[in-house]
Amino acid sequence: MSTLWAGLFCPQLALQARLHAAPIEPHTPLAVHEVLGGCTRIIEANRAAHALGIQPGQKLADALAIAPRLQVRTRCRTTERQLIDRVALAAYHYSHQVAPGDDGMVLEIGASRRLHGNADALLARLLADLDQAGIVVRSGSAPHPAAACLLARHGRHVGDRAALDALLQHWPLDRLGLANREYQRLAGLGIKQLGQFLDLPRFERTRRLGSALNQHIDRLCGRVPTPLNYWRPPEQFRQRLELPCPSDRHEALLFALNRLLDALGHWLRVRDRALAALAVELHPEDRGRAIELEAGLHRPGFDRERLLDILRLKLEPVRLVSPIEALVMRAARTSEACPGQADLWGEHNAGDAWSALLDRLGARIGRERLCGIAPCADHRPEKAWRWTAPGTTATVNGRPDTPEPERPGWLLPEPKPCRINDLRLLDGPERIESGWWDGQDCRRDYWSAHDRHGNRLWVFREYKPHRGWFVHGLFD
Amino acid sequence: MSGSIIGHNALDRLLDQRPDLWRGDRQRRRDALATGSALLDGALPDGGWPRGRLVELRLERLGLGELELLLPMLATQTRQGRPIALIAPPLVPCPQRLASAGMDLTRLLVVRPGKHAAWVAEQCLKSALFAALVLWLPTRQCDERQFRRLQLAAETGEAPLFVCQASTAPVTTSAMLRLQLHAGGEVEILRGRLGARATRLRPTAGNIVPLRA
Repeated sequence: MSTLWAGLFCPQLALQARLHAAPIEPHTPLAVHEVLGGCTRIIEANRAAHALGIQPGQKLADALAIAPRLQVRTRCRTTERQLIDRVALAAYHYSHQVAPGDDGMVLEIGASRRLHGNADALLARLLADLDQAGIVVRSGSAPHPAAACLLARHGRHVGDRAALDALLQHWPLDRLGLANREYQRLAGLGIKQLGQFLDLPRFERTRRLGSALNQHIDRLCGRVPTPLNYWRPPEQFRQRLELPCPSDRHEALLFALNRLLDALGHWLRVRDRALAALAVELHPEDRGRAIELEAGLHRPGFDRERLLDILRLKLEPVRLVSPIEALVMRAARTSEACPGQADLWGEHNAGDAWSALLDRLGARIGRERLCGIAPCADHRPEKAWRWTAPGTTATVNGRPDTPEPERPGWLLPEPKPCRINDLRLLDGPERIESGWWDGQDCRRDYWSAHDRHGNRLWVFREYKPHRGWFVHGLFD
Repeated sequence: MSGSIIGHNALDRLLDQRPDLWRGDRQRRRDALATGSALLDGALPDGGWPRGRLVELRLERLGLGELELLLPMLATQTRQGRPIALIAPPLVPCPQRLASAGMDLTRLLVVRPGKHAAWVAEQCLKSALFAALVLWLPTRQCDERQFRRLQLAAETGEAPLFVCQASTAPVTTSAMLRLQLHAGGEVEILRGRLGARATRLRPTAGNIVPLRA
């Protein structure tokens, strides 16, 4: 299959990046400014600001005089890069050759056509993913990357080389994205369309207009290859989201967390990992200590609804003393994504309802309170059991030929001292003498005994290391 | 005229299709789990522990008798591969004792005591994963609303929920079946669909002889 490149272009990147990092109400006029030539000027403005008469290129002071309600932000290159990364993450799901630029990217989709249906369907799904994340992009496609980058700005799609050549032949030079100086020089030569430029002898073009412009045009036409820096998804997932206005309402925080989960889902998908533990930090407005939440998953995976549910339960007991201004989400632990496997809980485990239940319970009451219980091979009764993770207790291999001595239904977590005068001994003694090898040597006689109320207790008389009577269990 | 009147039998059949419809003149036996004691099965209104119902067990002290009463049924369920849960047991259930009663310990979930025990029971019931649940509620955590919620959650599934509480706890009205466990393993049915039973049963070989000091 022939190669086909898709271009993505983020219009108004500075504005979008600001909005994406810190959303505002949709009808608020907003503009982004930057220092250009020693003077602060508006570089991008949203629709509401345009309606008030704000134009890119205006001085900031002028703009504020025209529209006092105008919200202004400085341009932030870091958030722009983050937004490009976010788009690249979504695009990486559809192609392993993603090359981001300053305000967009190109990706090879020819090789992915068989997997995702035709190129149109692939692009439509990519755009839907981005739309869901609240990012506006324009797309274009062409047989080579430089042309795809250009066509994305104008929303044109060209499938093969001949059609591209025909399109570029009549491409107006003012839509080529050239620097103003170069455009003026070409216009001075009377050249209006790309075809006229290409008709000139190559030697003349290079002599008069320099090699840089020629190289640019050659790449555009696919005569020389375009060098590309391919993007790799980050090794670790860590994203920060500023809230539009600091909030102490759980609902607002969950809404923001949902957006971070969205990005996390993309990251897990492209890195082919399964989430095992999620960490969230809530940064309060007063720069106090960040509140940290961590949620482990019983079975690694990614289910957004379940994670939201767990986060809701985790947030519930958190008392927010001051409003939260930013959230950070990290993938604390991940494991290899593996397809569904047979489960210990057998056919009664509907899908992974079992791990979903454990996650949900663990989120509210703490994972350590969910246990199984297992017998241990030790003669000392207090060491003959231990808590285990639920569902992991190995089946007991009892020795049927040697009957086990009778054990009570309930054990005290620790033996408690008692007075023999209150008890009436019934059955016994069962001598237990053990532990000389690990320094916890003991010698005891176990009895069953009645107390004053008629309850049958499991008591022992210890000779070593302490002397005295202890209660250890309760016969049911 | 004759076409508009539905015959008695047809109406009965229609009504019988609705298990949630209460009809005073007939007592339908619900689906039940065998208790492991023929005597107790015979005395209980549904011939065993009713599925999807809250069963209230009142005890002189938590930990006295309920495990012995429920173990045969719990062990049977785990051996058939269905999980069970013990929620907030007052002491540590002895694994050797459970195993000797025939329980498959891999199917056992123990939720250690603490806050939100009733919530845990409710979530477990709603998940419909368990064959039976036993919840121990300290007196201060019982209230009518809580019981009502648990009863409704139990009705969504197949599992019976046993709520163990001390005899001193306030009496609630939500439980369809209420048993009092006396010393010596005696069981008294305080409330069932057939009304209270005056007799005391002794389903298991009593191993407690009351001592009067």
